Amino acid sequence: MNEKRKNETPLLEVDHLAVTFYTPHGTFNVVRDVSFTIQRGEVLALVGETGCGKSISAFAIVRYLLPFHPGESRVDGTIFFEGKDLIAMPDSELQKLRGNRIAMVYQNPGTSLNPTMRVGLQMEEVLKQHLRVESKQAHQRTVELFDSVGLAEPDRIGQRYPHQLSGGMQQRVMIAMALACDPDLLIMDEPTTGLDVTTEATILDLMVDLKQRVNAGILFVSHNLGTVARVADRVAVMYAGQTVEQGPASAIFKRSKHPYTTGLLQCVPQPPSEDETNTRLRSIPGDTYAPEEVNLQACLFAPRCPMAQEMCHTEAPEILSVGDSHQSRCFFWNNVHKGIWGELEPRDEGIRETAEPVLNANKLQRFFGQWQRKYILFGPRVRPPVRAVTDIGFEVGGGRTLGIVGESGCGKTTVARLVAGLIPRQRGDILLRTEELAPMIEERTDQQRAALRMVFQNPTTSLNPKLPARHTIVRSLQKLARLSRKDSHERAEELARAVRLEPAYLDRRPEALSGGEQQRIVLAAAFAGESDLIIADEAVASLDVSVQAQVIKLLEDHQRESGTSYIFISHDLGVVRYISDDILVLYAGHIAESGPAECVLNIPSHPYTEALLSAVPIPDPDATPTRIRLGGAVPTLRERFQGCFFAGRCPRKIGPICDNTPPPVHIGPGSPDHAIHCHIPVEELIKLQSD
Amino acid sequence: MTMIRSGLVATWRSVRNTFRLIFRTWSGRIALPIVLLHLVLTFFGPLIAPYSPTAMPESIDQYQNLPPSPQFWLGTDQYGRDVLSRVMCGAGSLIATAGTGALLGIILGAVVGMSSGYKGGRVDEIVMRVMDGLMSFPTLLLALLVLFTLGPSRFNIAATIGFVSMPAIARVVRSTTLSLKNMEFVQSARLRGESTFYIIFRELLPNVLPVLGVEASVRFSYAILSVASLGFLGLGIQPPSPDWGLMISQSRRFLVVAPWVALAPMGAVASLVIGVNLLADGIRQATRMAKEDKHE
Repeated sequence: MNEKRKNETPLLEVDHLAVTFYTPHGTFNVVRDVSFTIQRGEVLALVGETGCGKSISAFAIVRYLLPFHPGESRVDGTIFFEGKDLIAMPDSELQKLRGNRIAMVYQNPGTSLNPTMRVGLQMEEVLKQHLRVESKQAHQRTVELFDSVGLAEPDRIGQRYPHQLSGGMQQRVMIAMALACDPDLLIMDEPTTGLDVTTEATILDLMVDLKQRVNAGILFVSHNLGTVARVADRVAVMYAGQTVEQGPASAIFKRSKHPYTTGLLQCVPQPPSEDETNTRLRSIPGDTYAPEEVNLQACLFAPRCPMAQEMCHTEAPEILSVGDSHQSRCFFWNNVHKGIWGELEPRDEGIRETAEPVLNANKLQRFFGQWQRKYILFGPRVRPPVRAVTDIGFEVGGGRTLGIVGESGCGKTTVARLVAGLIPRQRGDILLRTEELAPMIEERTDQQRAALRMVFQNPTTSLNPKLPARHTIVRSLQKLARLSRKDSHERAEELARAVRLEPAYLDRRPEALSGGEQQRIVLAAAFAGESDLIIADEAVASLDVSVQAQVIKLLEDHQRESGTSYIFISHDLGVVRYISDDILVLYAGHIAESGPAECVLNIPSHPYTEALLSAVPIPDPDATPTRIRLGGAVPTLRERFQGCFFAGRCPRKIGPICDNTPPPVHIGPGSPDHAIHCHIPVEELIKLQSD
Repeated sequence: MTMIRSGLVATWRSVRNTFRLIFRTWSGRIALPIVLLHLVLTFFGPLIAPYSPTAMPESIDQYQNLPPSPQFWLGTDQYGRDVLSRVMCGAGSLIATAGTGALLGIILGAVVGMSSGYKGGRVDEIVMRVMDGLMSFPTLLLALLVLFTLGPSRFNIAATIGFVSMPAIARVVRSTTLSLKNMEFVQSARLRGESTFYIIFRELLPNVLPVLGVEASVRFSYAILSVASLGFLGLGIQPPSPDWGLMISQSRRFLVVAPWVALAPMGAVASLVIGVNLLADGIRQATRMAKEDKHE
């Protein structure tokens, strides 16, 4: 009886939360209307795109708004933590709750730890501060906590400094620290965003595990629907500072009752469905609602909504109950279904036939730095160069897309820069059709430069901040398409329309454009030269999902119309799977696997590809996660591998042969182009991976 | 035509906004009147001065070293010339020389810093070591050395000041360039096949300008001090032209009997340097404020 009543009052109850920032330029309603509840032992995920106010809402709970806005701010609404009003609570009392009963884990573990202190000492300090325990006890408890978050050698890891730990280990230490005082509420702000997929998967596993062990409520803030589906019990979707939908995870992902949620779900490239038909990606038109826009009496999503009626533009919808603890902020929630974003179109596979190769790269090699001899106190210490790219070769077919995947530090960006000529290669050759390309871009001919274009990851730094957006397009046209000044301005406007931008946008400075608009300008410039090959280096990584889908669709349309080939580099296997015809999987500067997309992504695959695939979070709460996880960190690349480059982390390592002998190349059964660099024979891989 | 007009309107608006922002800071409020006063003297000093700065009265004895009085507000010097008029007319040459010197330094420093930083590698290494070498000389000593060989003239003074202030500016500009040159917009300019010259002056320069603006204000006040110091040492503008440094140097001997002759040019130099420094401070604060406003 007593136990039951305890469960009835929610651990945290946030009602009509609003946060206003006051600046010399006016007041901004960064959070407009957010309501959610968290029970003990439950994970509530707060999802939304950049600038929707999800992190601010989470930190407003503990009144920690300084990182977002140094000036005056105001929090309205009610926040009840175990029945106590946190908004009315004086600072001194709230301070006692913070870190003790309410703990926080931040996005960037690297900057949250003190770099000058051993992590064990930092941990002990927290314990002594909050629990007032003796040194010896604190040390013991530290070891226990490190063990509970799955850190190997928990008794020795405390001796290390933060920089000696990998990102995943740092985040584990942060989580251990948050758990130190047995908090009742854990606020996690994008805890896996800065990590590689394989590391992310292990952290998410840990969270699923913690959820069962710790009797705390967890508020999990994320922009990634895949990670949310993996850990959340309940999901609150935010848009423009409002919660637009809230409900159990399965209801949100399967029977969403808000058009924004259904749209968002469809922007994520899905793994191919059972019947193997590829469907085109869909995107949400327009850009996210900015906090400086006036709060009209209207549904804030109406401008982007496909089912908006007249009423949506004149009246603000309230939160309506649409089912068992499932709420939606939509007048027409009853009519919401997946089809509102248009019928699924099958993808046009017409021109995806192999033509003659556009680019042929052979035995590329690039090391960074030189052999260094340093005298540190006792004798010389030799520091070899970083072997970023060792012997990589590939081919890009005409009108085809080569996807290059791998974790950070695998050499994928270096490969892109070698091909583009931004950094000179040390060995190997690159053929553009039949011409040999010079190592440096400055030594190549104008035709070669026009044939090979590149799009970078960060759209903001891809445009000169002091020049209008048109500059890069116009100059590309003048230099590469040899257009006159006047013609180039006209053509620039055509190109802007082709990337769905009004020509008036061309006269704006980059700072006045959103990330998606900036990237579309960059694409327009890349399309200017009528190139044969465009290298897209993480071109969609920094964009929100709804915008990411727009950019991917533009790339697809351009390829269909002009037959341009792409090298598409990404750490996101879902996106690569969607866009690529061929895939190259890199690890530690070596090729792990290469071949046509359908062969690489199916059985048999290289153990590393297998691990990557099983680490990708799928936006479906019912998906059973495959249990292949990589421990350890990416090797430093300063030493030559005696055996297989992947031996150190390989979950399918077969014995000393992996450490001694470089792996042979096996040809997969599906296609003669499918190459697997592994000691395990293909038949064995098939057997191992079908189980 | 309308485009030019709208452009002018926009420029005027941004100038007005800048002034407003500067005036919102304390240092700006103090500095603006001081600097404006000096600027007025630069252009109109000889016109509004009550007497000629060089004219000596026929009976020097009568007018020698007179204390401040309604007739001579700041008194007279040992040749009986009106100190106020000399101070007013001295502003022009000083500010012009210092301004040209600072400007030369900025241009030289920007070109050297941007080229060296962008080129990188061995070129950068050599250029920057030369700059380090120049910087290790005391500025005034280096200037004296150059002026002894070239001989004092207004242009030579300006050129010398430009030369000695170049290394510090080059250093600052180079560090900004280093952080800029790895940004993607520079890479994409390389990918389009732009020349190094184009990249430095069209792509990088607009981004270096804000740094140069701050540097310019600092360099200008240093240049004023340098010109005045050189004048004091006798290597500046030659007599009888009114020069603040020279005036201080000449009035040294009469410091006890006629302190006003030395105090007036001293005050003028000090107020100008303080004004310029405070104004630079105000501008810096104002741009920071503008930036913060934009970000929120």
